[in-house]
Amino acid sequence: MGNRPIKFRILELFLDGKEYWNYEIVSKIQQEYGMNSNYGRDSINFDIIELASGGMLKDLEQKVDEGGIYKKDFLLHKYVITDFGRSRGSDACLRNA
Amino acid sequence: MDLKTLKKQESKRKISKGYMWALFCAVFWGIWYLPGTVVWVLNPFDNMLSAITTTHGDATALVVTAVLITAFNALTVMLALILWNGVLGKFGELTRTLKEFNPCSKWFFLASIFGGPVAILGSFIAMGFIGGAFAAVAALLYPVVGSILAYYWYGEKISKRAAMGIGVIIIGGITIFGGGLLTEISSGNVPWIGYLGGLMAAAGWGIEGAIAGKGLDISEPDAGLTLRFLGENIIWWIIIVPILAIFGFPMYSYALQAFEPLTLLVLIFAGITFGFCYVCWYKSFPLIGVGRGQGIGNLYGLMAIIFIFLFFGNVPQWTILVGGALCMIGSFVMFTEETSALETLRGE
Repeated sequence: MGNRPIKFRILELFLDGKEYWNYEIVSKIQQEYGMNSNYGRDSINFDIIELASGGMLKDLEQKVDEGGIYKKDFLLHKYVITDFGRSRGSDACLRNA
Repeated sequence: MDLKTLKKQESKRKISKGYMWALFCAVFWGIWYLPGTVVWVLNPFDNMLSAITTTHGDATALVVTAVLITAFNALTVMLALILWNGVLGKFGELTRTLKEFNPCSKWFFLASIFGGPVAILGSFIAMGFIGGAFAAVAALLYPVVGSILAYYWYGEKISKRAAMGIGVIIIGGITIFGGGLLTEISSGNVPWIGYLGGLMAAAGWGIEGAIAGKGLDISEPDAGLTLRFLGENIIWWIIIVPILAIFGFPMYSYALQAFEPLTLLVLIFAGITFGFCYVCWYKSFPLIGVGRGQGIGNLYGLMAIIFIFLFFGNVPQWTILVGGALCMIGSFVMFTEETSALETLRGE
């Protein structure tokens, strides 16, 4: 069970500098925090959208969710952390690491 | 369905939801000036004001009464937000965020110092001394304070366009404050404290915004805002109200008298409208961008004037109307330039 604020954990996952699809992050957080409902899924995805709009993640590419891996016929987004996200993320997340 | 139509659909959905949240914010914020004005004539605040006036004079009585009103406002806002977090199932996130003092909570508590004892107290003082329309419109100056602070603090550049917007807002501000002052100077009776309250509202919210952003960008706003009001409650109920009581003001006896149905109803109304205006504001940012969110949120000035007219039948002085219009035009000029968020949303 996750014990840090969800956005901290999301940034922490991105701190390795790799690109991730939103469904990869969402399902990982859902598992860690026990938020398996659709509501939990959408609320985690909104956190990602907020981080992107705050300039901490960058939306790199989109594709259609044809197989229903996340939400059928919706868009999937691929993100990478920005420099600003890296500095905010390491302030917040790596303190206890 | 192809990628292009889906992208369009998604961005349409985001933008219409974002505008909806921003508009809700403006409506709630505007309505807040109704209970804020009404509460002054309700007991115990009415009695408190006149009792302290006889012992300590006008100005002290007003500020002390405003403190108690603001403290109750903070309390009802926090209750409304806790309920909100409960409905959203976010108590867990609330606790997790609270524990992160250094990166997060610290900023919320700091923000609450400027939001509460400066901005909200100032607004109540302006409402009590001059009137709701003035209080609402005076606070429209807050983006000026916010951007000047950001310029000195994080070296954020002020573009030509933003400077133009700031200029228009300042002219609006001079109209709002100057217009009222001129009439009152000629009548020889200037409610200085009321004007000071208006300035406190603008400065306080400008500073609060700049500080709170540092914590809010890495936490969930629903949880963050609740903590910001937790901070404000601590300031009022644990620090300022007891200090005033020690100085001999009968804070607690009046506070206990507030548990009267009508007064309580008005206070709860204030808490709900104020709490949700903050929540809606932050919900709109990721969807339409901070700039547009704030620009539309600032329509609260117009909403406040409309609601005050509908419910109290007061038409504000023409200087307030003209000044308020200038401030709103200025905030649109200033904020709508920041299109990055919308551009990526619309990116084809």
